[in-house]
Amino acid sequence: MSGRRLNLGLATGGALVGVVVAAALVSFVWTPHDPTLVDAAGKLREPGGGYLLGADKFGRDTLSQLMVGARTTLYVGVVAVGIAAVVGTPLGVAAGMAPRSRGWLSELIMRVNDLVFAFPALLLAVMLGAVYGAGTLTAMIAIGVATVPAFARVARAATMQVMVTDYVLAARAAGRRGPAIALRHVLPNIGSVLIVQASVSFAIAILAEAALSFLGFGTRPPTPSWGRMLQESQELLFSTPRLALWPGLAIALAVLGFNLLGDGLRDHLDPKLRNARG
Amino acid sequence: MIVYLLKRLAVLLASVAAAGVAVFAFMAVLPGDPAEIALGVNATPEAVADLRARFGTDRPPVTQFLDWFGGLVHGDFGTSYVTSSPIGPQIADRFGVTVVLVLGGMVVALLVAVPAGTYAAVHHRDPVGAAISAVSQVGIAVPAFLAGILLVFVFAVKAQALPSGGYVPIADDPAEWLRSLLLPWLSLGLVQGAVLTRYVRSAVLDVMREDYLRTARAKGRGRMGALWRHGLRNASIPVVTVLGLQLATLLIGAVVVERVFVIPGLGDLLLNGVAGRDLLLVQGVVMVLVAAVLLINFVVDVCYAALDPRLRGAR
Amino acid sequence: MRRIGIWIALGGLLLGTAACGGGSGGRSGETAAKESLSVGFVAEPANLDFTSTEGAAIPQALLVNVYEGLVKLDQDGKIQPLLAEKWDVSPDRKTYTFTLHKNVTFSSGAPFTADDVVFSLGRVKTDWKLKIKSQLDVIDKVDKKDDTTAVVTLKRPSNGFLYALATRLGAMFSRTGVADLANKPVGTGPYQLGVWKRGDSIRLDANPRYWGAKPAAGAVTLKYFKDATAMNNALLTGGIDVISSVQAPESLQQFADPNRFTTIEGTTNGEVVLSMNNGRPPFDDKKVRQAVRYAIDHKALLDTAWAGRGKPIGSMVPPTDPWYEDRTGDYPYDPAKAKELLGGKTYTVKMRIPNLPYAVASAQVVKSQLAQVGITADIEPLEFPARWLDVVFKQGDYDMSIINHVEPRDMGIFADKSYYFRYDNPAFGKLLASADEGSEQQQTDDLKQAAKLLSDDAAADWLFLFPNLIVAKKGVTGLPQNAIAESFDFTGLAKQ
Repeated sequence: MSGRRLNLGLATGGALVGVVVAAALVSFVWTPHDPTLVDAAGKLREPGGGYLLGADKFGRDTLSQLMVGARTTLYVGVVAVGIAAVVGTPLGVAAGMAPRSRGWLSELIMRVNDLVFAFPALLLAVMLGAVYGAGTLTAMIAIGVATVPAFARVARAATMQVMVTDYVLAARAAGRRGPAIALRHVLPNIGSVLIVQASVSFAIAILAEAALSFLGFGTRPPTPSWGRMLQESQELLFSTPRLALWPGLAIALAVLGFNLLGDGLRDHLDPKLRNARG
Repeated sequence: MIVYLLKRLAVLLASVAAAGVAVFAFMAVLPGDPAEIALGVNATPEAVADLRARFGTDRPPVTQFLDWFGGLVHGDFGTSYVTSSPIGPQIADRFGVTVVLVLGGMVVALLVAVPAGTYAAVHHRDPVGAAISAVSQVGIAVPAFLAGILLVFVFAVKAQALPSGGYVPIADDPAEWLRSLLLPWLSLGLVQGAVLTRYVRSAVLDVMREDYLRTARAKGRGRMGALWRHGLRNASIPVVTVLGLQLATLLIGAVVVERVFVIPGLGDLLLNGVAGRDLLLVQGVVMVLVAAVLLINFVVDVCYAALDPRLRGAR
Repeated sequence: MRRIGIWIALGGLLLGTAACGGGSGGRSGETAAKESLSVGFVAEPANLDFTSTEGAAIPQALLVNVYEGLVKLDQDGKIQPLLAEKWDVSPDRKTYTFTLHKNVTFSSGAPFTADDVVFSLGRVKTDWKLKIKSQLDVIDKVDKKDDTTAVVTLKRPSNGFLYALATRLGAMFSRTGVADLANKPVGTGPYQLGVWKRGDSIRLDANPRYWGAKPAAGAVTLKYFKDATAMNNALLTGGIDVISSVQAPESLQQFADPNRFTTIEGTTNGEVVLSMNNGRPPFDDKKVRQAVRYAIDHKALLDTAWAGRGKPIGSMVPPTDPWYEDRTGDYPYDPAKAKELLGGKTYTVKMRIPNLPYAVASAQVVKSQLAQVGITADIEPLEFPARWLDVVFKQGDYDMSIINHVEPRDMGIFADKSYYFRYDNPAFGKLLASADEGSEQQQTDDLKQAAKLLSDDAAADWLFLFPNLIVAKKGVTGLPQNAIAESFDFTGLAKQ
């Protein structure tokens, strides 16, 4: 594996993610047009003349929608991955640090984890949506909860590796307590693994949000969302395929970006793990 | 191995029971009284009370749960409040369709991933190998429903070669059955195939670095021959694990693909149940899906242990 | 390498069967098409009992096709005889004497007689669970004179009575056929229930015992699609013969080729209503409601949300009713006037809509237009039917909503102040009552006035009249131009 090619992956991933983040940030202060403004005269406007990518059947500017959609996507991803990391990491660390005498703790955590894993994001979102109504928040929570097991597993495996290192053994011999070891030695050492997991989970969260919006369980109209743009473009797929092309491309590139970033970071931060995912 | 198996089985059963409690508790929070919903907006209070008694929703939650879960154990999913028809047969019907959809998708994924991944690993220094890796990276980034929409556009609407959706039971017309499933299989399988390709590639790469393979090649076997003889079993361990996880993903991905292709599977039933506030139905479908995922994980664990005895103690 | 060979063989097998499947599939499709047609619909019934379950999907499938009434509505909204060969009305307009067709049997084989008329109309009061059953409260008694003569006596003269008999309320049930209405409908119609694949389709087979002219098609399959695009694709690829109601009007140009498809555009009874909760702030204030009506550009809304199909109406009367008047001039688009009525105040309201294509599309336009005058509408799509019915329709917990009211001659819902509009104007109720009792001319005059009153009060806003958009394969005949009855009549449907 040549390092040059991998850095290429990292750079490409970083650039794609950077574009998405930049679009989202810029959309807070500026978009070419109001992304939700309905304009009957501009219905299905062709690209050009201030409307770089044209307009949809409501006359809404596609580029502005994509930009604000990037915000929605990142918002869902950040909160969902945040929930997963905040809940999953301590659980995984606790399970990984449990001494043999308290193996049941580790076992219990991992079994509950497996149980949560059996409720995928889509199922949770549909159930939550039925109770509290569909919306961005419901989608974020569902995706977040469903991602907890991934973090717990990774954190546990990495913690177990750290626990047998000399410095942890020394700390224990010195009589340090669990929480201190966790904060001082474990977390800093599993950080890189968690960052990689966050990047991969982010990509999965984007796909999940798109699927949920497509089914009508995601972001509410008229807030732009790439998944819903795709869904709305379906009836015009034959006459105006560009309306499906742009959000589809945006989803694919964002997912690709986070995946490449995750892989690149893995190699960069922890060469031992190189090739763990091809 | 027997002890391991029994232990895993006990965990499986406990998990299914726990999932049952979780699903039931979750559904109990749902707003809306099934009796009121079934009777519509103008029912008299007496009629509602009557129906509640008939549904058994006036009993304490614990009794209701035991009744429901006890029924599940015997394969009785109860009778829908909304359609007043038994739920078990409906789920059984739909489950078959979804299983066929998922397994077919899996086969497509394997047909893509095993040759592509192996090739990419063996030729990982060539441009073709690198290209396969790159294409698989892009494939992962495409949502299954988007793939579905595109496939319908190309093969059904433009080429008029395959139906755009719908499902023909195999008993009615085997050929039509196959035609109705080809596009859904492809849209599920191609995307999963891309994911799998990467795992196959890295597994094969790992195996190729092992000493025994080098020895075998040193003894004069060809690269593919050595791999075939000695590497397959070892390479299959991580792939089987991922395959298990992928099956679970496919099961859920099928929910969306069923919507795109109008296939009456479990996902379609679930979404109908949610829209129609068919509480027992939703409960039943969710339970079946969750139990299926747990079962898949169980089988994966067991396969894992069978393929690599060293791992038995680890979990 | 041996095993790889097996994989290749398997792959070849798959492709091979696919190829031969292509051939045989086409053939079987053609032979089946001669005797049966399949029609795509949007909403599948939860069950088949329209006496206790709300919703338009059940009568759409079963009325006229499986169940017949004494009378039926024709394409122009006129009442025509069906099971009753004729009827006489007494001079005081309170006694209706129906002469029934002879030798009519139910699909179960039981004969249809005046006893069944007494039974069926009696059941409306005792067993039906729908709000609309009050439309037959005017019946005093139903008597059998002889096997083929039934006499209905009314409490007072009513113009709406005969019309109500043409709806599901007038459906004739067999005394021995009501045990399992949810799953086993028994009627006198040209079709009977064949196979119901829940979540997929309902097949209606020709009723061999039918008393009248046999329907042209041997079987009609109603196929249900939750997704508008999937339904379009099904017609494009020959999966169905007819789209009963186009849910994605922008996609119509796919069907523009006259050598392949026929498109029908007519009217319906469906008023797409932008409802405003008259019972709580801010829409308890007439000025705010009027501001909303001025703020909405109905032409722009129709063009963007529904591809310009349909028709602005301005009140709760469809053009096929005799008392229709174009009321779109009452509140012309005038955002300045709207702002003036609001007096510089801004409002934030909950717009709780069903998750149906027309509602989601219209809501986004309404939101954008209201934003121009200072009203922020937060859109919240609720699953239709269950959740929307519960939250908006039943609990009335909403500020604004959008729904297509498809029932025929349904202006009366505004007279019920407990209805989710929470509209309360006694003058309106009086107009409706006098319209029902008075002469035909008075009925027309009163109802015109009632529609104007609704519009003036801005009891709601009427976004547009839902179009009857049907697309069919070329050669399919017998499709209704206008969808103004509750049923989709399959009796004349045929394929050349």
